[in-house]
Amino acid sequence: MSDIDIKRISYLAKLKLPSEKEEFYSISLKDIIKWVDNLKKVDTSKTEPLHNVTEKTVSIRNDEVSKSNSVDDVLSNAPERAQNFFKVPKVVE
Amino acid sequence: MSNNWEMVIGLEVHAQLKTSSKLFSSSPNQFGSEPNENVNFIDSGMPGMLPVMNFGCIEMAIKTGYALNFKINKHSVFERKNYFYPDLPQGYQISQFEFPILSEGYINIESGDNQKKIRIERAHLEQDAGKSIHDIDPKYSFIDLNRVGTPLLEIVSYPDLSSADEVINYISSLRQLLMYIDVCDGNMQEGSLRADVNLSVRKKGQELGTRCEIKNLNSFKFIKQAIEYEFQRQINIIDSGGEIEQNTMLFDTSTGETRAMRSKEFSHDYRYFPDPDLLPVNLSQEQIDKIKPLVGELPQDKLNKYLDNYSLDKDIAKIIIAEKQNANLFEKMISESTVKPKLIAAWLVGDIFAFIKENNLEVDSLNDKTKDITDLLRLISDDVISNKAGKEILPKVLNGEGKPSELVKELGLEQVSDSGELEKIIDEALVGEEENILKFQGGSDRVLGYFVGKCLKATKGKGNPKLINKILLERLKK
Repeated sequence: MSDIDIKRISYLAKLKLPSEKEEFYSISLKDIIKWVDNLKKVDTSKTEPLHNVTEKTVSIRNDEVSKSNSVDDVLSNAPERAQNFFKVPKVVE
Repeated sequence: MSNNWEMVIGLEVHAQLKTSSKLFSSSPNQFGSEPNENVNFIDSGMPGMLPVMNFGCIEMAIKTGYALNFKINKHSVFERKNYFYPDLPQGYQISQFEFPILSEGYINIESGDNQKKIRIERAHLEQDAGKSIHDIDPKYSFIDLNRVGTPLLEIVSYPDLSSADEVINYISSLRQLLMYIDVCDGNMQEGSLRADVNLSVRKKGQELGTRCEIKNLNSFKFIKQAIEYEFQRQINIIDSGGEIEQNTMLFDTSTGETRAMRSKEFSHDYRYFPDPDLLPVNLSQEQIDKIKPLVGELPQDKLNKYLDNYSLDKDIAKIIIAEKQNANLFEKMISESTVKPKLIAAWLVGDIFAFIKENNLEVDSLNDKTKDITDLLRLISDDVISNKAGKEILPKVLNGEGKPSELVKELGLEQVSDSGELEKIIDEALVGEEENILKFQGGSDRVLGYFVGKCLKATKGKGNPKLINKILLERLKK
């Protein structure tokens, strides 16, 4: 099993991890992966990958417009708004 | 020197599909609305909201499949591409990864005097993101989610392109095709068609180098500039002993330079997995076949038709097929009249397009003038008026100032085609010209032009030049 890069994982998960907790979570995650790795014991060489447990296909709708809410509804949970924009801390990429 | 270097380019083109509603929600798919006007709870990523597939997007993808020679896959799967950005409220983009709806297509583009086949690896459906506005407030970004969930078809080419001009030709051809089949409005300024350019350099004949990706280019001018700059940048690095770092670049339109996006602490990891909210798309052959007739005539079909059936010059035919609305206008005029297609084509790409350009009009706006235009052309081809008179009347006809036949009468532009009358004028014009007549009979053709001019002047420009020419020749040969 590959090593756990706990700094990267917390970065991807947008979680701030105190450095004294890093070892604890590394070990916990390793244990989880070890347990999940039990699945590797199953021989799947003759099994087609399954993307969904139902045999059904995606449900579709026709290309029609309907408006179900107002701008104010959408912005009502925003921590901050400015006119009709969401206002968020600056993230520039 | 860049002489023995070559560039290797692959493109990802994002085309916004012109459906009425979004990919997974019923919100309007519309550019230019008030901020957050076209946003519902699915688009804004509210917990518990479920995406529902818009079949219009699948239809448009299939049409594209036919137009770009793709294999249309009956089975495709939506997956989540996970990344954090404020204009992506779900926290992931729904896209297709392992099983795209289209694979292994190609188009032919022009490269110099030759055709070049550009292979296309895949095309898949995905959601567009919203827009962040960074320049209103120094500390905050303002977010408009109107664009969230707009259907995109991402078309990924193989690295078959080897110059900026080829890239431009490729994108123009794609744009033309997508507009012909009516799946994308092609408006690059509004972002309906955007390209990411993957570029690497190598010495001719050598292995592929490390590539850099220039993101989000939305004009031909910038694409060309960015490619030329990035090509030189990579050569300079290698020439001075450095190595190319695989990077995502932004093109700064104000300086004309590319620069690496703020380097990240960790590389991206999108952690794709099948979206549990969406079942796989499984299409029947019948569903796919049903869409084929909707593709219609493609530019190449029209080009062949114009050359073979209408005997147009290739350059003129190409101008007409460049945009679907040109071709529509042209074909409407052909179907409504018996004027020769060649004459219609010449006037269309000449005076009519000049009028459109001068008055800043849409080609479509002349659709209700086609009958008047062909009536005017009929007057010219029947020699009722001269070509010159036609040019004079055309703008008035296009401005709706009157019917061609009325305008001809009103302005007294009717041509004199009565040979008796013309003979009289010609005979008068030849009086006292014995010396010139001898010159002509001695072999000086230039004198003929002088006589034609003199006779035309005598008719105040209204004499039929063809007829004058003919009668003059008869008289002079005597």
